[in-house]
Amino acid sequence: MTRRIPKPAKPRIPKAIKPPMLEAITPMGWFAERGWTPFDFQHEAWAAYAEGRSGLIHASTGTGKTYAAFFGPVLEALTETRDENPPPLRVLWLTPLRALSADTARSLEAPLAALGLNWDVGLRTGDTTASVRTKQKLRLPTVLVTTPESLALQLSYDDAEAKFANLRCVVVDEWHELLSSKRGTLVELALARLRRFQPSLRTWGLSATLGNTPTAARTLLGTTGEPVLIRGKATKQTIIDSVLPPKVERFPWGGHMGLTLIAQVVATIEESRSALVFTNTRSQTEVWYQAILAAKPEWAGMMALHHGSLDREVRDWVEDQLRAGSLRCVVCTSSLDLGVDFAPVDRVIQVGSPKGVARLMQRAGRSGHQPGGVSRVTCVPTNALELVEVAAARTAALAGKIEAREPYRKPLDVLAQHIVTCAVAGGFFPDELFDEVRTTVAYAELTREEFDWALDFAVRGGETLRAYPDFRRVTVNDDGRHIVTDRGVTMRHRMGIGTITSEASTAVRFLKGGRLGHVEELFAARLKPGDRFTFAGRTLEFIRLKDMTAWVKLTKRAANTVPRWAGGRMPLSTELSEAVREQLDRAADGFYDSVELETVRPILELQAAWSRIPRPGELLIERVTTREGEHWFLFPFEGRLAHEGLAALIAHRISRLIPITLTMAINDYGFELLSPSPLGFTERDWRDLLRAADLAEDIGRGLNTTELAKRQFRETARVAGLVGVGRPGANKSAKQLQASSGLFFDVFREYDPGNLLLRQAEREVLERQFDEARLRAALERIAAGVILMQQPHKPTPLAFPLLVERLRGTLSSESLAERVKRMTADFERTADAKR
Amino acid sequence: MTTFKLCDETVHLFAEGALFWAAAGTLFIADPHFGKPEAFRALNVPVPDGTTAVALGRLTQALMKSRAESLVILGDFWHARSSRTPEVEAELMAWRESFPRLQIEVTLGNHDRAAGGPPAGWAEVVSREPLIYPPFAASHYPDACRFGYTLAGHLHPGFTLCGRGRQRLTLPAFWFAESFAVLPAFGEFTGLARIVPNPGDRVYVIAGDEVLLVT
Repeated sequence: MTRRIPKPAKPRIPKAIKPPMLEAITPMGWFAERGWTPFDFQHEAWAAYAEGRSGLIHASTGTGKTYAAFFGPVLEALTETRDENPPPLRVLWLTPLRALSADTARSLEAPLAALGLNWDVGLRTGDTTASVRTKQKLRLPTVLVTTPESLALQLSYDDAEAKFANLRCVVVDEWHELLSSKRGTLVELALARLRRFQPSLRTWGLSATLGNTPTAARTLLGTTGEPVLIRGKATKQTIIDSVLPPKVERFPWGGHMGLTLIAQVVATIEESRSALVFTNTRSQTEVWYQAILAAKPEWAGMMALHHGSLDREVRDWVEDQLRAGSLRCVVCTSSLDLGVDFAPVDRVIQVGSPKGVARLMQRAGRSGHQPGGVSRVTCVPTNALELVEVAAARTAALAGKIEAREPYRKPLDVLAQHIVTCAVAGGFFPDELFDEVRTTVAYAELTREEFDWALDFAVRGGETLRAYPDFRRVTVNDDGRHIVTDRGVTMRHRMGIGTITSEASTAVRFLKGGRLGHVEELFAARLKPGDRFTFAGRTLEFIRLKDMTAWVKLTKRAANTVPRWAGGRMPLSTELSEAVREQLDRAADGFYDSVELETVRPILELQAAWSRIPRPGELLIERVTTREGEHWFLFPFEGRLAHEGLAALIAHRISRLIPITLTMAINDYGFELLSPSPLGFTERDWRDLLRAADLAEDIGRGLNTTELAKRQFRETARVAGLVGVGRPGANKSAKQLQASSGLFFDVFREYDPGNLLLRQAEREVLERQFDEARLRAALERIAAGVILMQQPHKPTPLAFPLLVERLRGTLSSESLAERVKRMTADFERTADAKR
Repeated sequence: MTTFKLCDETVHLFAEGALFWAAAGTLFIADPHFGKPEAFRALNVPVPDGTTAVALGRLTQALMKSRAESLVILGDFWHARSSRTPEVEAELMAWRESFPRLQIEVTLGNHDRAAGGPPAGWAEVVSREPLIYPPFAASHYPDACRFGYTLAGHLHPGFTLCGRGRQRLTLPAFWFAESFAVLPAFGEFTGLARIVPNPGDRVYVIAGDEVLLVT
C-alpha cells in the first residue's frame, strides 16, 4: 500500500437502465458471446425456478452459481410482456458482506441491457447515501442487492408490505457463511415475513458444499416446502502444501515459529504473480505485513493489507488493485474469504492453523481462476503441530470429509429484536406473529411460553410478574395490536438492528483528516498519548481519544504495541481433529508418509521419548511441576469446545473434594488444570474424576458455567439492545448511559435471576460447551480406554502450547478472603525469593 | 472491619464499602449512583429494580456497626438526571426518616452536575466545593488539597491480585495514596476501574465480608 490514503473509489451505484433496446439477443446468445456454454446444473436450476420451486445451489466459488440463480427470474421475465418503466422490486439479493454488494450488482446488471430487459439494479447497505435512500423510499429498484441487517431495517418501516408486494425471488448468497450464526437466524425471520407478504415467493440459496447441505437448504426454506438441491460443477484441482522449516524447534510455541519462515514465505510470493496471504487474526495481518515489508522494502506500494476493521475506502482500493493485478500480495483475514474472484491471484498462503477442511478449501479456491489454473494453497505453520494439521487437512479434503455447520436453535435475543422490529413497522398481533416465526427452522419448536416471554421482554422489559417500572417500549392498542409509537424508541431500535456482528469500536483518524478504520474500544481506551501501534500497515502515534475517535499521526519510530480485536478463537473442526488423531496414530506406528509428518518427526519422537504419542483409545495425562504449581495436562483430542466443558467439569469435581482455586487453559488437543498446591492424583483418582456417572447432575447443579455464560452474554446483550445505546458523536451524558455487558450480567444475576436472556446465554453455553451427549460420549470413550499417566521432567511438545496460553479460566471453591490471603502470601514469598 | 491510623487519626474500613473516622463519628461513602437502573430504563434498556434498596440496606448496616453521627457522601449521589424518578426519591426520603438524628453532608460529583443534589431536606449540607474536616478534606475528585488529606471517590477503584498458578482476582478497593484516598463505589451496578498504585501506597480490598490489606 502506498503511504498516503487512497483516493475514494468512484461510486459504483449502477445507473437505471434505459427502455428496451431493439436489438436484444437471446440468453443463450449472450452466454455464447462470452464464450460460455451454460452448465447442466444451471439449466437444472432455471427449470426448477420456472416450476415455482425453491432450493439451494452448492458448489465452490467462481463456478457460475450467480447466473444459475439469477437467470431463473430473468428467463421468466423474458416470457412476459414488458412495460416501459422498470418493474417494481422483484428480485432481492442478500449478501453477507456489504463489501461484496457492488461487485454483485455489477454482475447482475451485466446481461440485462443486452437481453432487452429494462430492469434497474440497486444497492442498499449501511453505506448507501442519503439521496439514494430517499429515492428508494419512493420506489425500490427491480433488483435490490442488500445485507441481512439492511433487509431487517427495511422491514422495520410501515410500508414494508407494499414495497415487497411484487417480490418473486430472494437469493441468499454465500448462505454457508450466515447459516450457523445469529445473522442467519435474522435471515430466517426476514424470509418468514416476506413469505407472509407473498406466499408464492421463491427462495434460492447459494452455498459452498457443506457436510450438511440438506439442512442448509431446509433452514432457508423453513417449514414451507421441500427444497431442490442442485450440485454445481465439480471444483478445479486443489493443491495443499506447506512451507517447511529447515530445522524444527523442539518447542512448538504458538505464533513463534511463523515469522522465522519469512524468507520462504517471501520466496513463495515471488513464485506467483499475485498472492493472498491469509492469517487467522487481524493483529496477525498487521504483524505479517510489517514483516514482509521489512524483508522486501522494494515491495512498498505493491503490497497491501485487508481486514474487516479497515475503512471501506481503504478496502475498496485494495480490492480494485487486486482485480487490476497491480499488487504482488495482500495480507488479509477472512475479510477476503468471500466474494467475486480476483482473476490475477494464482497463489494463496495460509499462515497458522487451517482450523477446518472447508475453510482451507474455500481459501485455496481464491486462487487459480486463470484458464486451466489450479487452486494452490501453501500453509505456513506457526507451530510444529500445525504441520500435522496441514497433512490431516489434505487427507480429509481428498476423502471429502467436509464440516457441517449447524444453525442456531431459537435464540431469544434475536426473536426479541425481531418482535420490536415488527412493532416499529406498524405493529402486529401476537397470535399471527407466533405462527409466522414458527415457520422458520430456528423457531419451529418455539413454545408459546417462550414466545410470550420474548413478547413481555419487548413490551415490559421483563416477565409480567417482574415488570420494570417506567419501561414502555411497545404499547398494546385496545384491539390487541402491539405497536411502537414513540419516535425515540423507533430510532434507537433501527440503529440497533445492525449490531449483531459489531463490537463497540473506536474510529482511528489522522489529525490532518483521513479515516483509517476501527480498533476495539478497549484497546483504544488503554492507549496512552505517545503510544505507537501498527494499523492499516502504518506505524501510528496515538495523540488523544475524543468523540469516540482515536486521533493519530504517522511516526517513523518503531511501534510498541499491536491492536487486538476480540472475537473468539475459532476451534479446530471435529473433522480436522479426527484427521489429526489419525495422523498421530500413523506417526506412532512409525509411518511418516508426508513431508509435513517427516518434518515434525523429531518433535513427535521427542514426545514419544519424554512421554507418549496418544493413540485412539488412549487418554494421555501428563503431570509437570514448575514454580507456578502443579500442572496437569489431559489430551482427549475432542476439540476446543468439548475441552472447555470437560475442563470445567473436572475442575468442578476437584473443587468439591477440597477447597481450591484452579486455573484452566484450553486448546484443540487438550486442556491444562493448574493448581498452586500439589494434588498428587493417581490414575484411580482420575478415573473417578472422569466418570460418566453423575454427568447430568453435575451439569445441572452448580457446575460453574458462570464464567463462560458471562462471555456468551456479550453477544446476547448486544442483540437484545442492552448495550450500544450510545453512538459515535453522542455527547458525554449519553456515555453515562452505557454499561458493559459484564455489568448487565451481574445486575441481572443479582436482581432478576430468572431473566430469560441470562438463561439463554447459559443455554448456549450448555449446548455448545456442555453438550451432554457429546461430553458423555467423550467420557465413555475415556472410561473404555486406557489412561496413560506420565511425569515428564519438563513440559512436552504437546503440553507446551497449553503452558504458555495466557487466556485462562478460573474455578474456585475457596472463599474470597482465603484466596486474597493466599495470593498475598504467595506474593510475599516471591518477593522474598527475589531479595 | 479493619482499623488503622491515617494522619494520626483512627479510621475503620467496613466491608460494606465505607470508611469511618472514629474521633469525629463520621462515616464516608463515595459514588452511590442512585437511580442508575432508572436512567437506563428511561431509554428503554431493561435493567432490573431493587438496587437502591440493597445499597440503602448496606448503608444502614454500616451506620449501625459504626454508630456514626454524621455521614459524608463523596459525590455522584445520582447517576443521571433521569434517575430522579418519584419512586427513587420516595425510597430515599423514607430511608432518611429512619435516621432523623443523622447529619448528612454531600459534596457533588460530575454525575450530579446535570442531576442536581439530593432530594430537598435529605442532606444538611450540599456543596459544589470540597468539604474541609481537618486533617481531612472530602472531595469527589482524588486531587491533592492544601487543606488536608483528600478522601475521594470518582474512580470506582478495583485492584487486581496475581498469585501462584497464574491466578488473578479483581476486587473493589480502598486506595490510600500519598495525598489522597479513594473509596470504592458504594452503589450497586457501578463496575470497577483497575488502579495501579504507586510504591508505598496502601490498598485494602473488600473480599466478601472482610477488608484485607494487600499492598
